[in-house]
Amino acid sequence: MTPVSVDPNRLKLTNDDAANGPLAGTLIGFRCKECGTSVFGYSIFCQSCTSSELEPVDLGTKGVLFSYTIVRIPPAGWPGDIPYVLGQVELPQGPQVLAEVVDCEHDDLKIDMAVTLTVRAVPAENGGPEKAVYKWRPAKSGD
Amino acid sequence: MNNIRPGREVMVVGVGLHPFGRFPDKDLSTLAVEAVLPALKDAGVMWKDIPIAYFGHVYYQGMSLGETTLSKLGLTGVPIVNVENACSSGSTAFWQAYWGITTGLYDMALAFGAEKVPRGPVTVTAEDSPERYIGGDHMMAGYALRGKRYMEETGAPATALAQVTVKARQNATMNPFAHRKDTYTIEEVLNSRMVADPLTLYQCCPTSEGAAAAVLCAREDLAKYGIDESRAVSIAAAVLTSGDYNGRGADHSAFSPYRTEPAALQAYDMSGLGPEDVDLVQVHDAATIGELQQIESLHLFPFGEAWQGTVEGRTALTGDIPVNTDGGLLAMGHPFGASGIRMIHETVTQLRGEAGPRQVANARVGVAQCSGAGDVTTVHILKRG
Ligand SMILES: [Zn+2]
Repeated sequence: MTPVSVDPNRLKLTNDDAANGPLAGTLIGFRCKECGTSVFGYSIFCQSCTSSELEPVDLGTKGVLFSYTIVRIPPAGWPGDIPYVLGQVELPQGPQVLAEVVDCEHDDLKIDMAVTLTVRAVPAENGGPEKAVYKWRPAKSGD
Repeated sequence: MNNIRPGREVMVVGVGLHPFGRFPDKDLSTLAVEAVLPALKDAGVMWKDIPIAYFGHVYYQGMSLGETTLSKLGLTGVPIVNVENACSSGSTAFWQAYWGITTGLYDMALAFGAEKVPRGPVTVTAEDSPERYIGGDHMMAGYALRGKRYMEETGAPATALAQVTVKARQNATMNPFAHRKDTYTIEEVLNSRMVADPLTLYQCCPTSEGAAAAVLCAREDLAKYGIDESRAVSIAAAVLTSGDYNGRGADHSAFSPYRTEPAALQAYDMSGLGPEDVDLVQVHDAATIGELQQIESLHLFPFGEAWQGTVEGRTALTGDIPVNTDGGLLAMGHPFGASGIRMIHETVTQLRGEAGPRQVANARVGVAQCSGAGDVTTVHILKRG
């Protein structure tokens, strides 16, 4: 079965076809036409000025690592490796996005390093199709 | 923007506490009653005098728990309100009690809170929610992200964070109600099991069971109920806020460390007091970094400098601004519904001059600050006499 976005309000899949390369996606949200604020995920009115003039916005796949932690005692229901790195990533448009940081040695983690979105399939907690989950990895030249 | 219009002066006239810890042989109602009865006795009033009660609790243990609990004291027919506001549930119950009295609706009110928190890391969202897959639904990981960034920005060493726990444990040795009474060195704190870098186990508050209660009364009605005015403590400010946009927004991932500042500013404005007037403070130290950032948000230290004040001993019982004088969440433990009122209990005890070996000399003004998921923040300012 094709993986489904872990949250269609935050992650739009741009490739969920395994025959056609790896999973890929982009972060999405809403931008306020009145004050210019961008919000990650779903909002009915602007979170900053409460205007109803919101337009969907593609928040892209790039950010910088605002902070990180290596989680050694995981929360209930965590389906991944232990320990795992949790990153707090600031997008160029302003919002911050929490997600696992993968493909990085702990010693190479640095605050303010550039990171790029990657999408990985994770088994669903209660069966059903796998979840396509957004994660961060260190940015590479050519990203 | 806010229309905060307090009316009559309201006082805390009685406080009660059930010890915090683990009590497998007691249900939630029993814990709660064992805090409520001492609070009523302390106030010198009877349950039949209480016209309204607010009950803070978080974990579901059946419907209408406040009513079930208080039915043991007699069915008086008064309104009983169950309050859930995450870690600020108890302080929200207290806030409601204040506003019910100051506006003239009630002479008196009971605010109480109780909790039996399950063991293990605390999560906020339900099963199969996106947060579970993303990995961010972890209270202490959220605090760890703040801690990492704080250390990077301010140059605070790990030992400064650990000192917050060392101080909390020292204060708790003088508090018979505390969950944890053994003391640690900085090395022991840093060498305890890593939960989420940079936070080790001893830098995270234990989840606990316990209960706390407070009786509030309008100053002008004290005589009517025969309440001893000399032990009553005045409430100078009672503020509750949720997250404001604050440049970051309220999406699940925005762990803004300084959400307390707007509530603090409102409380100072409401009371006519300022940070320079504060003699002691209880803040939400669910993790060591939390205490540092809360006392900065309360403007007791400039932003980024609370760690130095802590290292210099300024927040210790003998310092110029003692913080978490009863041991705080780090040593008392954290029964969510009870913690906010536990802070009121400690503040009242100190302002009455009844804190025994942990008494802060000449304590006149105390602040109690509580934070919860959803950026729920309460700030209460209490004043002697
Ligand atoms: Zn706007």
